[in-house]
Formats: sequence, C-alpha cells, structure tokens
Amino acid sequence: MKKHVLIATFVLLIALAAPLFAQAGAEVSSTGFVPSKEIEWIVTSSPGGGSDIFTRKISDIMVRENLVSGQTFLVNNKTDGGGEVGRLTVSRVAAGKLADHTLLTFNSGDHGPMLKNTDNRIENFTPLAVMAVDKQLLYIGEYAKYKTFAEVIDAVKAGKNVVIAGSKGDDILTYEHLVAELGFTQNQISFITNDATSAAITSVLGGHVDIVMSKPAAADQYVAAGKLTPILALSNSRFTGNLASAPTLSEVGPYKNVENPIWRGVVGPKAMSAEAAKYWSDALKAVSDSTAWATEYIDKYKLVSEFRDYVAAKAYMEQFQVEYLKSIGKTK
Amino acid sequence: MENLQALLQGFVVLFTFENIGATVLGAVLGLIVGAMPGIGSLAGVALLLPLTYKFNPTTAIIMLGALYYANMYGGAFSAILLNIPGDGPAVVTLLDGYPMATKKGRPGQALLTSNIASFIGGAVGILILTFMGPLLADIGLKFGPAEMAVLLLLTMTSIGWLMGENPVKGLILTMAGIMLASMGMDTLSGSPRYDFGNMYLLGGIPFTAFVIGTVGFSQVIRLMEERAIKSEAITDKLTLRGSMVTWHDFTRMFMPSVRAGVIGTFVGVLPGAGATSASFIGYAAQKPFKNEEPLGTGAIEGLAACESANNAAAAGAFAPLLALGIPGSGTGAVLLGGLMMWGLNPGPLLFQNEPEFAWGLIASLFLANIITLVISWGVIPFLIKILSVPTKLLIPIVTVVCFVGSYSTDNSMYAVLVMVISGVVGYILQKANYSTAPLLLSFVLAPLLESNMRKAFIISQGKLDIFFSSGIATTFSVLLILFLLFPLVRWILIKARLLKVKSKKIS
Repeated sequence: MKKHVLIATFVLLIALAAPLFAQAGAEVSSTGFVPSKEIEWIVTSSPGGGSDIFTRKISDIMVRENLVSGQTFLVNNKTDGGGEVGRLTVSRVAAGKLADHTLLTFNSGDHGPMLKNTDNRIENFTPLAVMAVDKQLLYIGEYAKYKTFAEVIDAVKAGKNVVIAGSKGDDILTYEHLVAELGFTQNQISFITNDATSAAITSVLGGHVDIVMSKPAAADQYVAAGKLTPILALSNSRFTGNLASAPTLSEVGPYKNVENPIWRGVVGPKAMSAEAAKYWSDALKAVSDSTAWATEYIDKYKLVSEFRDYVAAKAYMEQFQVEYLKSIGKTK
Repeated sequence: MENLQALLQGFVVLFTFENIGATVLGAVLGLIVGAMPGIGSLAGVALLLPLTYKFNPTTAIIMLGALYYANMYGGAFSAILLNIPGDGPAVVTLLDGYPMATKKGRPGQALLTSNIASFIGGAVGILILTFMGPLLADIGLKFGPAEMAVLLLLTMTSIGWLMGENPVKGLILTMAGIMLASMGMDTLSGSPRYDFGNMYLLGGIPFTAFVIGTVGFSQVIRLMEERAIKSEAITDKLTLRGSMVTWHDFTRMFMPSVRAGVIGTFVGVLPGAGATSASFIGYAAQKPFKNEEPLGTGAIEGLAACESANNAAAAGAFAPLLALGIPGSGTGAVLLGGLMMWGLNPGPLLFQNEPEFAWGLIASLFLANIITLVISWGVIPFLIKILSVPTKLLIPIVTVVCFVGSYSTDNSMYAVLVMVISGVVGYILQKANYSTAPLLLSFVLAPLLESNMRKAFIISQGKLDIFFSSGIATTFSVLLILFLLFPLVRWILIKARLLKVKSKKIS
C-alpha cells in the first residue's frame, strides 16, 4: 500500500515538473567546431564583482544572440587560493571535448598575482580575446567621515589614518600607485583586501571602512540607490553619467593623475583545439560588435571597448607577462 | 501590515501550477542532494542553476530557494545514521544525533527531532525575514570586522566544553585545527602559506573532504577493526509509529529550537557567516540552558538547537541577499549569480523594482518548509533501515560514500587524498582518546576569525580599543571576558562559601 502511494507521489512530481523542461532544444550546424554540450566558464572572483558581471554579461549575450547553438553556460566562481586553483585547473584540462567547452575569465588583476605567486604562465592557456579596458574609482558610503578626497588628504596630513577597502589583484596595484603619488606611507592610508569588490562594498555600507575602491560595474547599483558616492576617478579624465561628479587626482591637488588600466579578457585551456579557439574568438568578436554589449556593458559600466582577437590577444598577454615579470624582478 | 499584504501577494504569485511544481521538485532534490555527503547546498544550487536559465526568474528562484532550504534537512540524515556529516552544518548535528541514534537506540526519534527542529527553526527564520527583512539586512551591516571577530571568539569558547575530560589533548587539537586552516593563500596579503611549492596546497585543505575523512572514514577503519565483534544489530521493526517522539521529547526540543531559530536567523544575516557557523553558535548557546542530559551524549536539546539554527540561518541569509544584493554565504553567492543571469539586478532596489519576485520567493520558503517536513517525515522508516545493514556490507558502502562525497566537492583526486589521510589520522587520534570535535570547530571558524581580526586591526592600526568601539562589539567583548572569567569566579565563590561554613562551624 505504502509503495503505491510512493510511486503515485513520484509520478505526480514528474508531471508537475515536466513543463519546466519543455523549452530545451538545440540547433546543429555542420562546419568546423560548434558547441555540443554546456560550456563551463570559470571565474576566479565571487559573484557580484566586476569579473563576474563581465562574464555573465558575455554569456548572456551569446545565448540571446544565438552564438552557441542553443547550449547553456555554467558559470563557476572558483575563488580558492586567490583564484590560483581555478586557473591551474583550467590550464590542466586535457585535450578533447571538455577542453573545447571550457573558458576562463582572465584580466590583468588575475595575470599579475599568478605570475607573482605561482609558476603558471600564459603559455599554459589559449588566449581567446581581450574585450575591454576598465578603471577604478574611490567611493564613500552614507556614514563617511570625509565627504571629498581633498578632505581625506587633509585628514591624513593631520595625522589621521584612512582605510580603503578593495578587491585583490589590480586594486592593490592601483592603491600602491595612489599612495606613492600622494607621498604617504601604506600605514597612513592602509588597504584591506577582500575576495571580491562586493565584500568590500559591504564593509563600507556598514560604516566600518572609510572608502571603497571599485570599478564602475560592481558599484553601479549602490550609486543608483544613493548608498555610495564617487569621490575620486582613478583615471586621466573624468567618467561620464552618474560618476561625472568625481574629480581626477590632478584636479584635487598638485598631483599627477593615477590610472592603472585593467584589461579584461577570456582564455581557454592550453589543450583547446585551434578550431575551437577560432570559434570562441569569433563569437567574442560578435559579442563585442553587438549593440547589447555597447549599451548594457561598455556604456553602462563606463569601460573602454578594445577588442583583440585570439592572435592579437596572445601577443598582448605575452607582452604584459614579460613586462610584469621584469617589474617584479623575476626572470621567467 | 504592509509586509503581510506583500506576502499574500507573494502567495498569489506562488500558487500557479509551475511554481508549486518547482517548489516540490526543489524540495525533493534538496533533500536528496543534502543527504548525499559531499554535495552540499552550494554544489546542489550550482548544479541546478544552468537548468533554470530557461524558466522565468520567479519560478527559477523559487525552485533554487526550496532546494537550498530542503538541503538543511537532508544534511542531517547521514550525520545521525552513519556519523558522516552530509554538509558543513551537519558536523554539529552528529555530536548529539549519532549517539542518540546508536547508543540510545532511538534513530527514528533522532531523525524526527532533527526534522521538527528544522521546521521550527525555519519557520522562525522565515517569519523574522518576512517582517524584518530589510531591517535585518541593516543589522547585518552593523557587523564589521571587529564585531565579527569578537562574536567568533565568543563561539570558540564553546570548544572548552567540547574537549572532554582531557583539556591538554583538546588544546592540542584546537591548535592543530587553526594551523591546518591557515594553509593556502593568505587572502589579505595574497602570499602563500604552508604550500611547500605545491599548487594544491596553495588552495588549502578542502573542508568537506577533511570533515568526511576525520569523522566518517576514520569510523570505517574502526568498523573494520571491530567487525569480528558481533554488533547488536537493531532487530526491532522500525516503523513510522515506532519512531514517533513522545510529548516529553517534544517539550524538550521546543524551546531550544525556538531560541536557536532566533539566533540562527541573525547569524545567517551576518556577512560571510552562513549555516555552518550558525549551527555551532546555536549549539554553543544551548549549553547554559537546562539540558536533561549533558550535550554531546545524545541530548535532544543539543540536536534540536543546531538543526534549528542552521535552517533559520538559511532563511536569514536571504535578507541581505534580497535587500542589499550581498550574499551571506557561498550558496547565497551562487543564488546572486543566478539573479543576475535572469536579468534581475540584485541590490538595494530589488524589493522596489521586483516585489513580485522577492515576495514570491519568501512565500515559497513557507511552502517549502511544510513540504520538506512532510516528505522527510515520510522517508524516515526507509532511512532507518540503514542501521540494520550488517557491518560487512556497511563498510564497503560507507567507504564508497566517503570517496564519492569527497571527490564530488570539486571533482579532484586531491580532495580524496585529503579525505583518506585525515581518515587515518582521525582514527589514530580516536584510538589515543582524542576527541575530534575541537579540531573540526577550530578548523571551521579559524579562517573567518583570522580575516575579520586582521581587518579589524588594519582599521584600528593595531589598537585593541576597536573591540569596544561600538555597542555590539562592546557587548560581545564583555560577554567574552565574563565567559573566560566564569570558572575562576565560580572557584572563588565556592572557596568563599566553604570558608564561611568553616568559620560558622568554628564559632
């Protein structure tokens, strides 16, 4: 008797759930490489951060513009070991179907720490594209002690200590440039590294930290809701839209502007086939050319669109690697 | 009142054929995923997320919400029956759940206690979420690094009474847990620690594999050693009726569940805390209250407190997620990713812009809570049959579960290696009369404590006064000091009383 009830429940369950799966279906093309399974896209930062938004926007556009023949993306935020584990995993994917269906979001903030802390190099990946260049701003929250960056500088000169919260990688580099340009020590203005910008924003919203460093994308919602206000553009010129009120450093005082452009790109495992690399590079080019990309990403989050295909991206990332290794005194 | 209306609106959204189907499906999958060791809510939600891209966002989040929620029920099953925690929060469940099921011979009651406590905790959490959602999120924000650090220290004092009869052994394992937890990339400075040039060690010790090994696999080894000894197999017919709790049991579990539910909800709201910490804190908070049996020996109160707290935390975690777009846990982070994928902008404007979505989700949690209780109640008679499986069959089965569970966390053989090694070490420790609870507790809490404490010291330039800089921090600090001084004060009081008695006698 009990068994019958169980079976009946199970059948009912399936019947209830069936409409949910009704829309699946794929189109098949016949030339060269075409995605034939879901694509795993690894991001080495937490959801809500800049890299995550970048990834989800691209995958979203690819699905909407039908660039992946009906397949879906599985975005996997792998933040272990500062992202090194995720990068290592991708670099080691063996040749075959999986290698052709694995992507990794890769930007200068990932590349730098990887070169500094590990022996993993860009040669272990297949660069697919560079999509855009991003920059940061400093923001204050509602409970901020200082309302402008000039006040921050005065406070530090008066012996106060100021704390900036930010993400790892490129944010640290930008912070170091900023402190050096201001002529302060890293004790006078200190920096708290978070796993992603979203965590840094949390600490500013709660009033625990004075200032947060963020790229426009991760802070966008909070600026719109009036919870964050931009006070300094880390750029050679002001941003536009609701970020236009933030001055650059040279406007604040007798300093040079601090700008540390971050390139945002996509790579695959080293073992990815040449046909797949070409396919993804073309698909990313199509995203870069789409109006959705221009309006929903580049304009909205105030980036500079700068597309490089898989050949150009390879040269670009290798060049970055050579220069970065030289700057930290490593030979290879 | 306004919230109540919005909630009713949420129920209107919920009661469509698809949405109820999604809730039921989510609840069933959640129970299954939760019951499988190694695949916690994080993996479950992550695996299901791509499936939901084609749904409308409300249906999708309802399904994932129900899955996340039901997970907290399922995780307790293997902890109670096999002493293998299905997920992080269940580490606490096994402290009382396993003794209750085996030593006391009440497996059905243990499972039912965990179900009812989960239900009560969840109900408390969802009610608080309904009426105080956005406010709750603001309270969460008030917890900065300093507040979190003191709260975690306060929780860690509970290690003191988990140590058992030998404090030195307990201290050694606590230290070992902290050291193991510090392996891998230092998240604040980005420098590697104890990695010995190995890429995998750079990622640290994977939590699930470590726990499955220390608790579960070590037990397999013990079973192998003891297999010659005939076990007193449970031969009574285990039925639904036989596993009913008595009214007395219910009165024992009710208050701990409500209390832990409130505590768990607030812990769930805190940034970076999550269900595992909630479980520990809820359990630790039960200690000062009246317990009929000492915690850790199969006490209903202890089992109820931790199960209630982790379910409440799952509900609480939705507050910052919905109100501010801040994920309170790893699973919350994946859900947040889902929101963005469906084209919703999580953040301070979500409740205003997408009320249908936000309240539909909250309404679905109510429904999921009830559905999960009914389903998990129904499977109890089938589950407890596991206990009558003979040892010679149980050993290979549990071994497979341990291997699959540790492998599936992040699909790597490294995790399996960690599981086996920690299993062997765990076995040796148990043989030498070490209790592994302090090791696990410090391993779970140390990374959170470290990052919060170091952030606090960066903010305060190394000054200790930051721990008294806000009302919340001061309250916790004072509590912490009182807790630490309590044994000393009690000792002095007892001595004083003895002296008085003596002097009276003399006079």
